[in-house]
Amino acid sequence: MEPLSSGQIFVQVIAQFTPVWIALILFMGASAVFKKRLSLYGRLYDSPIGMVGLALVLFWVFTALMADWVAPFDHLDQFRALKNKPPGMIEEESGLAFLFGGDNLGRDVFSRMVYGSQTVMAIAPVATLFAFIVGIALGLPAGYYGGYFDTVLSFLANLVLAFPVILLFFLLVTPEIRSTPIPGTMAAVLFLIPILFFAVFIYSRFSTRPDTLAMYLIPTLLIGLFCYVHLTNLWTPLGVWMDANRLNIFVSVVFVNSPTVFRIVRGLTMDIKTRDYVAAAQTRGEGPWYIMMWEILPNARGPLIVDACLRIGYTTILLGTLGFFGLGVSPESADWGMTINEGRKLLRLFPWAALPPALAIMTLVLGLNLLADGLREQSLKD
Amino acid sequence: MAKWEYDGPVLEIDNLSISFFTRAGEIPAVMDFSCVVQPGEAMGLVGESGCGKSTVALGVMQDLGKNGKIVGGSIKFKGRELNEMSEAELRDLRGSEIAMIYQEPMASLNPAMKIGRQLMEVPMIHEGMSKDEAYKLALEVVESVRLPDPARMLNSFPHQLSGGQQQRIVIAMALMSKPSLLILDEPTTALDVTVEAGIVDLVKDLGKKFGTSMLFISHNLGLVLETCDRLCVMYSGEAVETGSIEAVFDKMQHPYTQGLFRSIPLPGADKNARPLISIPGNFPLPHERPPGCNFGPRCSYFEEGRCNADAIPMFEAGERHETRCLRFQEIDWNAPPAGAISQQKTEPGDVVLKVDDLKKYYEVAASALFSGGDKKVVKANETVSLEAREAETLAIVGESGCGKSTLAKVLLGLETATSGEVVLENKGIGSTPIEKRDTRTVADVQMVFQNPFDTLNPSHSVGNQIIRVLEKFKVGKTQEEREQKMLELLDLVKLPRAFAKRMPRQLSGGQKQRIGIARAFAGAPKVVVADEPVSALDVSVQAAVTELLMDIQRESRTTMLFISHDLSIVRYLSDRVVVMYLGHVVEMGTTDQVFAPPYHPYTEALLSAVPIADTSISKKRIVLDGDIPSAMNPPSGCPFQTRCRFKSEVPGGLCEKEVPPMRGLADGHYVKCHLSQEKLDEMEPVIVLHAAE
Repeated sequence: MEPLSSGQIFVQVIAQFTPVWIALILFMGASAVFKKRLSLYGRLYDSPIGMVGLALVLFWVFTALMADWVAPFDHLDQFRALKNKPPGMIEEESGLAFLFGGDNLGRDVFSRMVYGSQTVMAIAPVATLFAFIVGIALGLPAGYYGGYFDTVLSFLANLVLAFPVILLFFLLVTPEIRSTPIPGTMAAVLFLIPILFFAVFIYSRFSTRPDTLAMYLIPTLLIGLFCYVHLTNLWTPLGVWMDANRLNIFVSVVFVNSPTVFRIVRGLTMDIKTRDYVAAAQTRGEGPWYIMMWEILPNARGPLIVDACLRIGYTTILLGTLGFFGLGVSPESADWGMTINEGRKLLRLFPWAALPPALAIMTLVLGLNLLADGLREQSLKD
Repeated sequence: MAKWEYDGPVLEIDNLSISFFTRAGEIPAVMDFSCVVQPGEAMGLVGESGCGKSTVALGVMQDLGKNGKIVGGSIKFKGRELNEMSEAELRDLRGSEIAMIYQEPMASLNPAMKIGRQLMEVPMIHEGMSKDEAYKLALEVVESVRLPDPARMLNSFPHQLSGGQQQRIVIAMALMSKPSLLILDEPTTALDVTVEAGIVDLVKDLGKKFGTSMLFISHNLGLVLETCDRLCVMYSGEAVETGSIEAVFDKMQHPYTQGLFRSIPLPGADKNARPLISIPGNFPLPHERPPGCNFGPRCSYFEEGRCNADAIPMFEAGERHETRCLRFQEIDWNAPPAGAISQQKTEPGDVVLKVDDLKKYYEVAASALFSGGDKKVVKANETVSLEAREAETLAIVGESGCGKSTLAKVLLGLETATSGEVVLENKGIGSTPIEKRDTRTVADVQMVFQNPFDTLNPSHSVGNQIIRVLEKFKVGKTQEEREQKMLELLDLVKLPRAFAKRMPRQLSGGQKQRIGIARAFAGAPKVVVADEPVSALDVSVQAAVTELLMDIQRESRTTMLFISHDLSIVRYLSDRVVVMYLGHVVEMGTTDQVFAPPYHPYTEALLSAVPIADTSISKKRIVLDGDIPSAMNPPSGCPFQTRCRFKSEVPGGLCEKEVPPMRGLADGHYVKCHLSQEKLDEMEPVIVLHAAE
């Protein structure tokens, strides 16, 4: 059969993403209609930059969610006839086109790009969230109490930040280190912090109302514990959520991101703790954790949300870098970084294999940065 | 561009209208504003925040930013139209012919440049003066703003000077090119009263010396009375009354001006016999102005169908005296205010709070980087002793750094005393930090904070914040009971119950302060510490909040410690007064005793420094030299000896050697001073009220 022309490829790619377009239009349309009720997120729709950013990010979110519908092939299916073939070639058996060509094993580059988004979406936002919880849980007391506690924690944070990130990753995900109990222990500690965080968060607020306290605290602890045993692979009644590879990446991403978050939160806390409403809370005898969690933290949310967007972007690049070096990903996964590396080897001859994942990383990170810009712009307006 | 000669008025503003263009559309900030400033004349612009007074000043400077635009009228400076000048012409004019002085001196000075270079720049740029000449001129000007050691001043960086010195430098910079017009935008708001008095004196003298015309923007009527020849009262973007100081102060022709004067505590006011009358309602937002008279909805002379029919023009009410009121000829301006209810004086009960010989020292490491080495001690409170009775208002007066906030912190348990005792109803609490106090004690001592924009947490709704306080103080058993109690508290502070669901940003400053008061009174406290609770509010709102505070106190028989630097309001509402200076209580007594001679020399200076908006009083001017010494390095002997004008009258240099003892002058009146009894008896009253004409 005749290969598709570039115009046909373009049309076909657009058509292939049809479910994503529909979801995007429905989601953003509904948000725009109800934007008055959606506070900061709603106001994003007044900023063109923020909307472009949000659209790019949502595009990849929906692509990851609906990858099975979008991708014409499975990311592992190999077709020998289409090995290193240029974009537009038709796969004889199914009659479907290899829209972005085939790679050195005869897999569809387009489908691999689509499935690659799943790896990023599964790790980057959640790992960033964990990094934030760890950073907040340590940054709040450091900024609030100051003194030696702050000095020691800040020093440790600087230590982690000063260590070359890539080298740190190499160390954390190399098989030699993985065989030691270090990653396991780190995971056990890092995953414990969010549970403690939420327990303290709830306890400090409702300790004056025992009945309400039990209503919130018991479910939180149960769910927390359930997630904890799964994530650390101690007991997995619901199957393995994260294999050892992924757990390693996850832990390392949290580990290198949380010191920066720690420093931001510490700075914000030091500023907000001088406000009168903090003094008012102190004069009515509130405990330090109530003040940190309920008086200070909510007022630090603006800068933190903006930073979270940027940080998911950094994490995406970091995951790409890790994949590029083949760290922490299984050899056959569709990870973008790894695909780029594989494509790189034959870049001069067959450039189509490396370009799509690179463009994918670029658009996602660009979207996140624009979204952060939009959020910052909107949160500064009254 | 050379300065040009012109015989007419320095500034003529005619029907000026300024609007800001935002996403929400056009917001008119100034409408139909006219005024004339003659050479050598000082014109005051008075009004509450948001009335457009600063916008007028920026309009004159043609510096309205990206969104602002002059939409009508003309501004003539020495006969030339400013609205039609090019950017280059304006640049020539700014800083040489028209100079502006802002509220925050530190923000007007470049922190990276030495004072000298910043001053010399002005004539070097505008007149092409040589460096040497400019330096000489700078020395001269710095001397004329009465700064000590001009050469050293020129060689220092802005952060090395105190706030008062910085503001003098900013004034010097404005004078470097001998401008024809000086615009001062609240030049003393950020300064202490005694420092403010010095600046005001300086500004007045400079006007006379250089013949500079001035546009003086302020919210303080007393300050305008002291500095200006004429004034213009603004309300919601319009000038409502213009005239000479005497005409407007004594023969006011607009209800808003009248309302303003009735809501500020003048020497005759008294919380029981002649309470303040606040202006009802709120300042209209720029896009919610009513039709017709902007002041209509808050005016007691409002006439339906007439006042709200058409836009009101300015009417001639006398010689160079105009008013924007339709009914100015019908209103009897001398009628006594309606609605003033005199109250029974409450009798103070037993002693609730007793502070005995309280000391609070802070240790500060000499260097932040390396601990160890020399430790410096900041003596924030030195031997503070006082007593407060039930249902009594005790005012604590002093300027920044006098230790009044530290005292409040010790009372509230946020700090513990270094030595001495604080007794609340027979229970020592001075060395008990707040975490160790039981719920009752915590609820017994509560505080109302100064800054309304900072006192409520912006992330929680008003109702939830009050309920949290009730939870903490164990008021009510169930959540429903607490909710009910919260609504009652909203009633108590005269706010609608619907406000419970609102977020703090939806409230005005006065409303936030009311919530702050509700919060402090939620646990039925014995003692409420009010730290300048109204100083950040607009004049017309101040009166209402003050009255509310007094009403609640009267009913609940709470002891109130009223911290303030504003002696007018202290005289109005307090029963007894404690004057503090550098951590020492320098004078203590009933309000009448403290406000009449004999005074402590510091009290005397403080009384003289506070501007009073009343033409029928005359004040003795006592301006203190220099600034308040640092508590880190207090002077030897009497804390006030470095600025005291009576120091030479005490033999043997005793003031520099010993801290004077607290001496009783009359029943309950104590003074910490070495002056002999004869000298104290010779003192004359600072404020003299002329017999009413």
